[in-house]
Amino acid sequence: MARNSVGRDLPEQIPGYGPVRPFSGHKARIPEGNRAGGKLKATFNDRTDKTVKDIKEAIKASGLRSGMTVSFHHHLRNGDYVVNQVIDACAEMGIRDLTLFPTALFGVHKALIPHIKSGVISRIMGSVNGPIGQLASEGGMESPVVLRSHGGRPRAVVAGDVKIDVAFIASPSADRYGNLSGRIGRSACGSMGYAVTDAEYADCVIAVTDNLVPFPLTPVSINQTKVDFVVAVDSIGDPAGIVSGTTQVTRDPMRLLIAHHAAALIESSPYFKDGISFQTGAGGISLAVAAFVREVMKARGIKGSFGLGGITSFFVDMLKEGLFEHLMDVQSFDLVAVKSIAENPNHVEISADWYANPWNSGAVVNMLDTVVLGATEVDRNFNANVNTEADGALLHGIGGHQDTASGAKLTIITTPLLRGRIPCVVDDVYTVTTPGEVVDAIVTEFGVAINPLRQDLIDAAKDAGDVPLVTIDELAERAHKMSGPMEPVATKDRIIGVVEWRDGTVIDVVRQLDK
Amino acid sequence: MKTAQAGTLESMDCVVSLTEGAAGSGLAVTVGGASAARFGKAMEKRITETLQKLGARDLTVSVQDNGALDIVLEARVEAAWRRMTGGDGA
Amino acid sequence: MKLRRTMLYLPGNNPNMLLRGWLFGSDGLILDLEDAVSIHEKDSARILVSRILREGEFGSCEVTVRINGVDTEYWEKDLEAVVPFGIDGIRVPKVEGPETVKAVDEALTRIEKEAGLTVGRTKICCLLETAQGIWNAYDVAKASPRVDAICPGGEDLTADLRTQRSDEGTELEGPRRQVVLAARAAGIDAFDTVFPRINDDEGLIRETTFIKQLGFDGKSVIHPRQVPIIHSVFMPTEKEIDRARRIVAAAKEAAERGLGAVSVDGRMVDAPVVKRAQFTLTRAGFFEEVQ
Repeated sequence: MARNSVGRDLPEQIPGYGPVRPFSGHKARIPEGNRAGGKLKATFNDRTDKTVKDIKEAIKASGLRSGMTVSFHHHLRNGDYVVNQVIDACAEMGIRDLTLFPTALFGVHKALIPHIKSGVISRIMGSVNGPIGQLASEGGMESPVVLRSHGGRPRAVVAGDVKIDVAFIASPSADRYGNLSGRIGRSACGSMGYAVTDAEYADCVIAVTDNLVPFPLTPVSINQTKVDFVVAVDSIGDPAGIVSGTTQVTRDPMRLLIAHHAAALIESSPYFKDGISFQTGAGGISLAVAAFVREVMKARGIKGSFGLGGITSFFVDMLKEGLFEHLMDVQSFDLVAVKSIAENPNHVEISADWYANPWNSGAVVNMLDTVVLGATEVDRNFNANVNTEADGALLHGIGGHQDTASGAKLTIITTPLLRGRIPCVVDDVYTVTTPGEVVDAIVTEFGVAINPLRQDLIDAAKDAGDVPLVTIDELAERAHKMSGPMEPVATKDRIIGVVEWRDGTVIDVVRQLDK
Repeated sequence: MKTAQAGTLESMDCVVSLTEGAAGSGLAVTVGGASAARFGKAMEKRITETLQKLGARDLTVSVQDNGALDIVLEARVEAAWRRMTGGDGA
Repeated sequence: MKLRRTMLYLPGNNPNMLLRGWLFGSDGLILDLEDAVSIHEKDSARILVSRILREGEFGSCEVTVRINGVDTEYWEKDLEAVVPFGIDGIRVPKVEGPETVKAVDEALTRIEKEAGLTVGRTKICCLLETAQGIWNAYDVAKASPRVDAICPGGEDLTADLRTQRSDEGTELEGPRRQVVLAARAAGIDAFDTVFPRINDDEGLIRETTFIKQLGFDGKSVIHPRQVPIIHSVFMPTEKEIDRARRIVAAAKEAAERGLGAVSVDGRMVDAPVVKRAQFTLTRAGFFEEVQ
């Protein structure tokens, strides 16, 4: 056993995961050696059409066998058909014991459960949610789920921690020679940023499209030099589940109040000036923070530099209004964002590596001034949990939480003090996803707690006068007083989830629920 | 068999349903919903105490919770009880 | 010299709002047992509000409860459930004349005595929601020393006047003037009715600016997002703040030098003007300067 720097006791080895490197600080691990890489290939003028008849033929051609690792991206979100189609095909072809390496899974992927139970899939490295998360939490998977952030995942690929045998890339448009784009097509998803590193490092890359266009497709998200096979299918996804219509700012008064406090904190900070860069999630409170910040930017004549991350119509409007000069888009959340990335040269598609990988020569998160994040709970040490729910079930991925928190100059986590009766500011989070050393402030409807490590921000907020400052201990005590003591989560010793910090060290583990 | 209900399924509320039990059957409490995993036992205890204070003896109590704090839980239990006994109707 | 710019209604059967409504920063809260509660939930809302008054938290807000009208079977039960916890006041709907106030006054006195509270501590705000109520505004205001504010109705009043509510509020102009006049004559506060269109910020600013100019002390509030908007309208201008500061400073200096009369900008200033200036600074948030 070893104790990592957020106080978690970890075994030296975890069955199904391997040796454990304990987390020891957010910038502590420095890599050595060279990048990993995919197979060398030669392609000449006798091969000018990469299309194959169907998914099974592509699988056969790729050489995929039992025990290998297959990767997928989640740009089609809850509308995705491709993951299920590919795994169905593998099952029918008798392929078993696969490691599934998706950038994320959604509710629609609950169709994989029979394949998990029958042994077609034996391991998942990537976020799990809903029924698959519940299954894993109750011990229904052979190997622990490995959770990596949006930057930690490409890091693991580039560093050779994970070798992708076959990458299946759902592509809203493709030509016969493997140029891929998310901008157009009936299943358009905008950016394809999560798939880029997989395309570069997988031994074999199979594009699956429902919009085959004449060569050359341009501009591209992923170009022909990375793609081995192209499969045209009837449909890669349900457009209604791929992008939302328009993203609405919440009207819930309590969420607006939290957002209002967060916006006041941002305004009070030294970063609120010309050239500010900004990321928020698409969640209700985050978007409302953006709405308040936008009004103040307009009122005070402040022009920002770039908006980052998952991009919503809201950020597109800010780009159009001149409040941002650029949008750096790893994932386009709604139809407006998809349209914008296709038409506006200042709306730039970036890969997950470019966005957030700590082990390259500079990710965009390092240039970020302010990020507004959520959490299921935070604690007195400012540690944040985004992975597990109050009942101890592993139901959420890390997303860009660790990466943006580590990179941004001002990391704000907004959360109600309680969700229903469940306290969201606690003594010690159940699972540490992001360490308190990179979290600068917790904003609740009961006030704003700034990390004592950031006396500069505390002073600035005091000077501004309209930030309702409290201490994190006050928040935790108030939450406890309102909710009463929580009964502990009953677990077994067996580890069913491993939460990696973005550098591949283990920040926490999740144990099997005792049900 | 007398029954009564109070509360809503709005956030931070709960629905308390009471059914009169046979004499001597005691209080049988079940709690389901949002907070049951981490507060179930405390809620059962609070419900039982509240009903005992009100003089209830033989009841089946079912609570569907959506995040009620004790203060709300007690208010809903009391409201359901008063509805059932007609003690303090609207 | 307590601020009473915003009195926020909290629906009496909604635990979420009752528990956290004070966080929205209004000057006062009205826990509502009347219109916000359906006829079938009067009992459970009364129990809930009673519990929350006993154990809940309200920050620095003035806490009042709107009871059901004296023409209903609920109002005395409402009072018995809420008054013993020492609330600041109650709102009585559909007050038409002094006799209503007297009935409520007597019930309050009885309950205060039973609860061991100082008799008279529970104030009354009267809602004048009929033509008759508006006509009797002054008599209502003087009917009991407990009455510390009166407030015109909105929807009910316009219906009683046989008209509809308009964007311009023409139909309420007369009643509003009457309420301010009666309140000032009786030496109590005047609150305005709610602005019902919760997403119409410009309309809210227009109406609040108008009622502030009429002389109202504040406004009833139907949605939390209206609170900061109303506060900003009631925020004194730089010019008003500047003048108020000079008046307060001059008064202080005069007091220190033992002078009776105070002069600012070449004009004599008497005690009510000084008080008004202190109030302006309070509204502007400069509490310490008033001390």
